[in-house]
Amino acid sequence: MRQETTPSSASGGSQRQPGRIGWLLLSPLIAWSVAFVVAPAVIMLVYSFAHRGTLGGVILGFTLENYAGVLDPVYMQIVVRSIGYATITTLLCLAMGYPVAYLIGRSDEKLRNALLMTVMIPFWTSFLIRTYAWVTILKSQGLLNSLALQLQMISEPLEMLYTPGAVVLGLVYTFLPFMILPIYSSVEKLDGALVEAALDLGAGPLRAFSRVIVPLTAPGIAAGVLLVFVPSLGIYAVNDIMGGGRVDMIGNIIENQFKGNARNWPFGAALGTTLLVSFALIYWLVNRRQRAETGAPGAPAIRGGLS
Amino acid sequence: MIRLVTRMLGSLALALGLAAPLVAVAAEELNLFAWSEYVPQSVLDGFTKETGIQVNYESYASNEEMLAKLMSGAANYDLIQPSEYVIEALVKENQLLPIDHAKLPNLKNIGKEYWDQPHDPELKYSVPYMQGTVGIVLNTKKVKDPVTGFGDMFQPKYKGRIVILDDSLEIVTWGLATQGIGPDGVTKESLVKVRPVLTTWLPLVKVYDSDSPKTPLLNGDVDLGVVWSGEAAILIKEQPGNFAYVLPKEGAHMFIDNLAIPKGAAHVEAAHKFINYILRPEVSRKISEEFPYTNPNLEARKLLTPEELANGASYPKGNPKLSTFRDIGPLAADVDKLVTDLKAKSGP
Amino acid sequence: MKLVTRLLGVWMGFILLFFYLPIAVLVLFSFNQSKLNIVWTGFTFEWYSSLWHDTVLVRALQNSLIVAVFTTAISLVLGTAGAWLLHRYRYRAASVLETLAFLPMIVPEVILGVSLLILFVTIGVQLGYTTIVISHVTFCFPFVMASVQARLAGLDPALEEAALDLGATPLQAFTKVLVPYLMPAIVSGGLMSFTLSLDELIVTYFTASAGTRTLPLEIFGRVKKGLDPSLNAISTVFIVVTVVALVITEVVRRRNP
Repeated sequence: MRQETTPSSASGGSQRQPGRIGWLLLSPLIAWSVAFVVAPAVIMLVYSFAHRGTLGGVILGFTLENYAGVLDPVYMQIVVRSIGYATITTLLCLAMGYPVAYLIGRSDEKLRNALLMTVMIPFWTSFLIRTYAWVTILKSQGLLNSLALQLQMISEPLEMLYTPGAVVLGLVYTFLPFMILPIYSSVEKLDGALVEAALDLGAGPLRAFSRVIVPLTAPGIAAGVLLVFVPSLGIYAVNDIMGGGRVDMIGNIIENQFKGNARNWPFGAALGTTLLVSFALIYWLVNRRQRAETGAPGAPAIRGGLS
Repeated sequence: MIRLVTRMLGSLALALGLAAPLVAVAAEELNLFAWSEYVPQSVLDGFTKETGIQVNYESYASNEEMLAKLMSGAANYDLIQPSEYVIEALVKENQLLPIDHAKLPNLKNIGKEYWDQPHDPELKYSVPYMQGTVGIVLNTKKVKDPVTGFGDMFQPKYKGRIVILDDSLEIVTWGLATQGIGPDGVTKESLVKVRPVLTTWLPLVKVYDSDSPKTPLLNGDVDLGVVWSGEAAILIKEQPGNFAYVLPKEGAHMFIDNLAIPKGAAHVEAAHKFINYILRPEVSRKISEEFPYTNPNLEARKLLTPEELANGASYPKGNPKLSTFRDIGPLAADVDKLVTDLKAKSGP
Repeated sequence: MKLVTRLLGVWMGFILLFFYLPIAVLVLFSFNQSKLNIVWTGFTFEWYSSLWHDTVLVRALQNSLIVAVFTTAISLVLGTAGAWLLHRYRYRAASVLETLAFLPMIVPEVILGVSLLILFVTIGVQLGYTTIVISHVTFCFPFVMASVQARLAGLDPALEEAALDLGATPLQAFTKVLVPYLMPAIVSGGLMSFTLSLDELIVTYFTASAGTRTLPLEIFGRVKKGLDPSLNAISTVFIVVTVVALVITEVVRRRNP
């Protein structure tokens, strides 16, 4: 049974006006954000208009040449490439991670946390050593090639490393857990009865999935997409190692300005600010629209007494 | 709830307990900011034992990383370890304290050729720590044709078998060398000139790696490389007979890493003591043992083993054309852009 | 349905294989004789015994753990509170606040590191555990917040109202009804936060001091010289300890339901 939903009753009408208590409780968060998020962002913004210092650093001033540089086709081609890789990674993580999150979420309560830990433990080892382990596996004299040659599946070693495929593999490997975890907590609260009901009413498993399960886990999916796509835009190390340094992305360019020969902090800051403003704008607009529609971020279209 | 709080208090206590020994109450301290793994622990321990001065060793992986933290106004470092072209820039910007030669009786151990370099002709602000070159390393089992320079190396027959440093300034100077232009000739015009050269070179490269170019060489994924001499020396040590090091006939970069005292240093005395300690032949020799670069300390070289001196990458034979890098100022941004562009166009 | 569960199980097995393959290699190579650790040359235990003397490395691991624990604790508090407050109250600046909270995720690490360092230097805070934890929390708590928010969406408010009707104080309603409900999201967010903090490199480079080096800093520092197998060894030791702790917890839990 679906309840009538109106924007103001999205969380059932218990969204209140924050009184003094509401603002008081929120103040630590606001203070933290202002101190450690706003302040660095402002520093970055100021730097983006400054002049390049000789030893790195900046000479404060005002110039738009850094932003002009951002629009340069040399860097635009890399921005496009980064967005492409981030998108592919996110989609693959979603496809590969959803079933895992679903299984864990529907598992026995006793098993769930253990399964989650099992999923996360590999990522508590050093990123560098893990990635070099992949190099050992994928290189031309590596484990996979040796195995395939032994089994006579191939006659010559395959070139798996230092390719775009290797980069995608590295990216998916790095971000998959961050897709699984948010989706898991959405799946966990699924009422099994709903799925049963849908199936009883004649829906095939596929329909039950797409019409019932997916919409109900939409907030988890949205969170997973956010937590994979956004950070993957800033990636620099995985693609550097897996791609042989040939697949530069935005993250590498920005890094170069601060830690490479360029010593061009203002340009790096301009790139960073552009990324930030683009993300902030899109996120804020989507967020506002969602709040207007449903009163809460990420809330699914099917609403009502489903919790 | 209570369990949670108890656990948190427990970890807090544990943390403080663990942190205690780290809050060392030292008589005197020295804040050393150097390349990662470039100063052996045994050297630091020896220094502390003799002088009682505690050394706090922070490290970085590139000159620019060092500058980034230094220029952000961070901690007061007493010693930094910049390469020669960074010294030049630091001196220009008055960021270094002069070195008092009277406090460094061991300074005479440094070879004469290191005294007359353009970045610091009289060693007023820096003391050479280690020297090296950037050259060509070959897997002699795979590369049969003679390779004497960049021209021989960047040939279509080696496509996909090459690793080079991921350093835009290096790459550009190699290209310039084939045009007869040295590292002091980086100008807007010469960058235009070098572009077509690099456009033919870069598509041949399989891997860019400044951190560990020896990895793809040992893995057999590439057969030739333009790498730091230290990397080549390690390869030769590891698999003697398989690798050879060649200084390109068109010209090679000779880099000199130095110790210098930054402006905000608080322990200038201790810094001088440390430098003098490093200049002792027995101590300097220990550094060579760990890092097979070229030791500028001639007295220390006398203490090296025949194998170490025979390593063609550590102590190259012949009379190759060597030059140090100069500070190129704002052109660094153009250099970076050029290489970024060509990399992107030639990559997958 | 059983078929579906079986298929999901097979898929999960495949994913776990994918996750653990490099870990298996990592563990294997911790016994590698070659110091350069690039090609396998033979079997040895020497790297494990070298850990006894490598106080620098062990201390780095300790530092990483301390930082990760504190980071996770603070991130959980900030993230959960933030998500819940934004859900509960209709702040007019809600969208702005949320966007603000998520900004650190998009700011490139090197920029975050440099600007936080400048901030700390300007305020005059000494670099150390505090500055590292602050910088870690800043980009970790959005992950907790996103996780908890997703779980809050679709929360039946009747739950809380029922509790209050039955005589619970608002605090009790929070701790005994809401927090248990949010547990999966809290665990989820906590795990993400812990993982991110453990392996963080760039921001830590800028906000750490000589005495508070973390494991990633140590490991990355050794790349040029060669990642010798002692690094694999310490990672293996850490995994083994974690798995053993996990197994013990599970066994204990099954004994005391």
